Amino acid sequence: MKRPALLDEPKRELWLAWYATVAFYSLYAIVFFLVTRTQPPGKPWYDPTQVVGWFANRHDGLLIGFAIIFVLGGLSATSIALITYSIRRMSVSRAFSYSYLVLYAVSAVPGFLFICVAMTVGAMRPERNPVIQRWLYDLGFLSFSGTMGVFLIGSLIWMTAILLDKNRVFPKWFAYLNLCNALTEVVVAPSWIFHVGAFAWNGVIAWWINVVVFGVYTGAFIYLLRCMILREDFGTGPLPDLPSRHWHTIFPAEVGAS
Amino acid sequence: MTTTESPASLLPPKSSRHVPGQPDMWVFVLFESLVFTSYFCVYLYARTQHEAAFLRSQAHLLLWLGVLDTVVLLTSSWAVARCVQHARAGRYGLARRDAWVTAGLGFVFLVLKIVEWARLIHFGHTFTSTQFFQYYFFLTAIHFVHLLIGFVVIGVLILQLKDPRRRRQETVETCATYWHTVDFFWVLIFALLYVVR
Repeated sequence: MKRPALLDEPKRELWLAWYATVAFYSLYAIVFFLVTRTQPPGKPWYDPTQVVGWFANRHDGLLIGFAIIFVLGGLSATSIALITYSIRRMSVSRAFSYSYLVLYAVSAVPGFLFICVAMTVGAMRPERNPVIQRWLYDLGFLSFSGTMGVFLIGSLIWMTAILLDKNRVFPKWFAYLNLCNALTEVVVAPSWIFHVGAFAWNGVIAWWINVVVFGVYTGAFIYLLRCMILREDFGTGPLPDLPSRHWHTIFPAEVGAS
Repeated sequence: MTTTESPASLLPPKSSRHVPGQPDMWVFVLFESLVFTSYFCVYLYARTQHEAAFLRSQAHLLLWLGVLDTVVLLTSSWAVARCVQHARAGRYGLARRDAWVTAGLGFVFLVLKIVEWARLIHFGHTFTSTQFFQYYFFLTAIHFVHLLIGFVVIGVLILQLKDPRRRRQETVETCATYWHTVDFFWVLIFALLYVVR
């Protein structure tokens, strides 16, 4: 596939948003998995003393990692904006893009800011009462994992827009992948009930399987957003095809039918 | 003199080699099958760890009710298959009737499932009572959600069949593919939760 020309007018702004999206998700993974080690999540059954130990083991990482998020977390807006742009480019009502934009703007708070605040507060005063430390620990992980349901409607909005779209902005298979992602958002709900097992916030079903699905989904939409920018002609009709052999792998049905 | 046919000419026409419906729907089928397979693996692993406890809990399920669920859902699959056949033959009135039968049988399944859940909860077997019932309620509930989406899909199918301007065989087959997938998941859930001892 042709390499994106970053300075190629008039797509410069779109490429800026796309690279910011890649930067955000890379930063997100590095901070949560490596720097703060808050993912995979801690054990839900830890007693207050164990929670204090958990905070002590990650003290510096939590403060440094989430400081980075507080400075650069706003980059998440670029991915939401780019997705909203993609829905605006479709032949569907603008109600879809507005709904998506508002929903994800609100969802960012429980989606990842709550955990950052709660864990930073916990790391700030290690000498605090262990019972309160565990309260912060629970708040952080439950707000992060337990509120995935807020993303359910967003995925369904995006799916419906793609299925109704006649401009072929995204392939239909991605609409169905949205449905797969939406269904896994439901599966996290039991983490409010269980402290142990597959349905707890660190469980195989509530976390591990979901994170694999989310990883595939995120990788797919970042790739497809890139394809959309490459194809963008700033018109209002169907997006033109890419003059590339790779295109056949993205829109097999349409290529075969044409 | 003999004539030799090229391998390509021996193959069926290109159109008949396509998968039914939108190929994109098969991405959903394959991906969701992988997700369900991972759930089943987790369930089976938990079962091997606590086999006796799982068997004790499993004994509270009514096998005949599970069989009835399965028969109802498989019959709905048969109805949607008939719907596709009628649509292919251009008999859209009959196809619509079959789509309604599919939805009706799906509704019967939902009612049976709610009755079964109510009975179990009445006897104290809830989502949190035992590990087996955690998996039982999770797997049947996630399947229930898939079936609810299936009603939207059948609704789209009926609307398409009703309006001559919108009718597309590909959409009919795509909707049927979704319904068959949901039935396929139920057959596996039935086997794992009710039958395997």
